[in-house]
Amino acid sequence: MSARTRLLSDGVRSALRALGAAAKQGLGDPGLAELVQIRASQLNHCAFCLDMHLGIAREQGVGERQLDLLDAWEEAGEVFDGRERAALALTEAVTVLTDGFVPDEVYEEAARHFEADELAHLIALVTTINSWNRLMVTRRIPPGSTAW
Amino acid sequence: MGCLASSLEGMTTNTTDTTTAAPDAFAPEEPARLEWAKHAPEVYKAMLRLEKAAGQGLDLKLRELVKIRASQLNHCAFCLDMHTKDALAAGESVERIVQLAAWEESRHFYTEKELAAIELTEAVTVLTDGFVPDEVYEKAARFFDEPELAQLIAAITVINAWNRFGVTCRLTPGHYTPGQHA
Repeated sequence: MSARTRLLSDGVRSALRALGAAAKQGLGDPGLAELVQIRASQLNHCAFCLDMHLGIAREQGVGERQLDLLDAWEEAGEVFDGRERAALALTEAVTVLTDGFVPDEVYEEAARHFEADELAHLIALVTTINSWNRLMVTRRIPPGSTAW
Repeated sequence: MGCLASSLEGMTTNTTDTTTAAPDAFAPEEPARLEWAKHAPEVYKAMLRLEKAAGQGLDLKLRELVKIRASQLNHCAFCLDMHTKDALAAGESVERIVQLAAWEESRHFYTEKELAAIELTEAVTVLTDGFVPDEVYEKAARFFDEPELAQLIAAITVINAWNRFGVTCRLTPGHYTPGQHA
C-alpha cells in the first residue's frame, strides 16, 4: 500500500478533540460512549479507531461479551439493554446517511431513552467518531500509530 | 439563483403531494426534530471552531462545491440550502451547481483539480461501502500539495459532520441568508 499523508492541522485536531470531550461529558455514560464509537468504527471500517476504542472500552470495564457481539447487536437478545439498543440503532442510522435519512422510529426510540440534552450529545458523539473515522481511513493511519 | 430556487420548489410540489386538500399548496413546513445547538451549546461552539480550522487554506468556491456534493450524498436539505446560497454568493454559476449531482457526465464544467476534489469527497463520504481507493487518493495528491490535501480531507470531514447534525435533527431548510454566520 502506498504512503498517504499523516498531516492534520493542529487547529482541526484540537477542535475535534474538544468536540469529542464535550459530547462524552454531556452523554455522561462512558461505557455506552465506547460501544457507540466502536459500532460506528465497524461500519466505517476504521482499524485505527477500532483498536483505540476497543482498548478504552476494556479499560472502562465494558464486558467482553458485549464487545464480541456488538457487530450483531440486533440479534444478541439480552446482551444489550433497551437504552443501549436505542443508542446503537441511532448510531447506525446517523453513520449510514448515504442510504437514506434517520427513520422516525429510530429517532423516537432514542428520544424515549435519552432526554433532549443527552440525545444532542449522543448525536454529537456519533458525529465526532464519524469524523475521526474519516480522517483515519482517508489517511490510512495504521492501528496503534502514535503519529496522527 | 431565482431560477434554481423555483425549479427546486417545483420538484418538491410535484413529487410529495399526497394530501387531498389544496393540491396547489406547498406541503407544510415541519419544525426541527431537535434544536441541538440549544441542548449542546459547547458542542456547537466546538463545531464552529472546527469549521474555521478546516476552512483555512482552501479556495472558497472549491470548498462550496465539496460541501454541496457531500450534502447531496448525505441528503442534508439544510446544508444544501446553506451551501448552494453561499456558493452563489461567492460567484459560483447556477449551471455548475445544478450539474454537480451528475458531475461524472458533465466533467467539462469543472477543472481537473475540482474533479479530483469531488471524487475524493465522494470516497470519504461513502465510507460504509469501502475504503478510499488508491486511485482516488493519488489523483487528489497530484493536484493538491500535502498541506492543502490535509485541509481538503478535513473540510470533507467537517461538512460530513454538519450533515449528520442537519439530517438527524431534521433542521428546516429555506431560511438561510448568505453571510448570516460570518
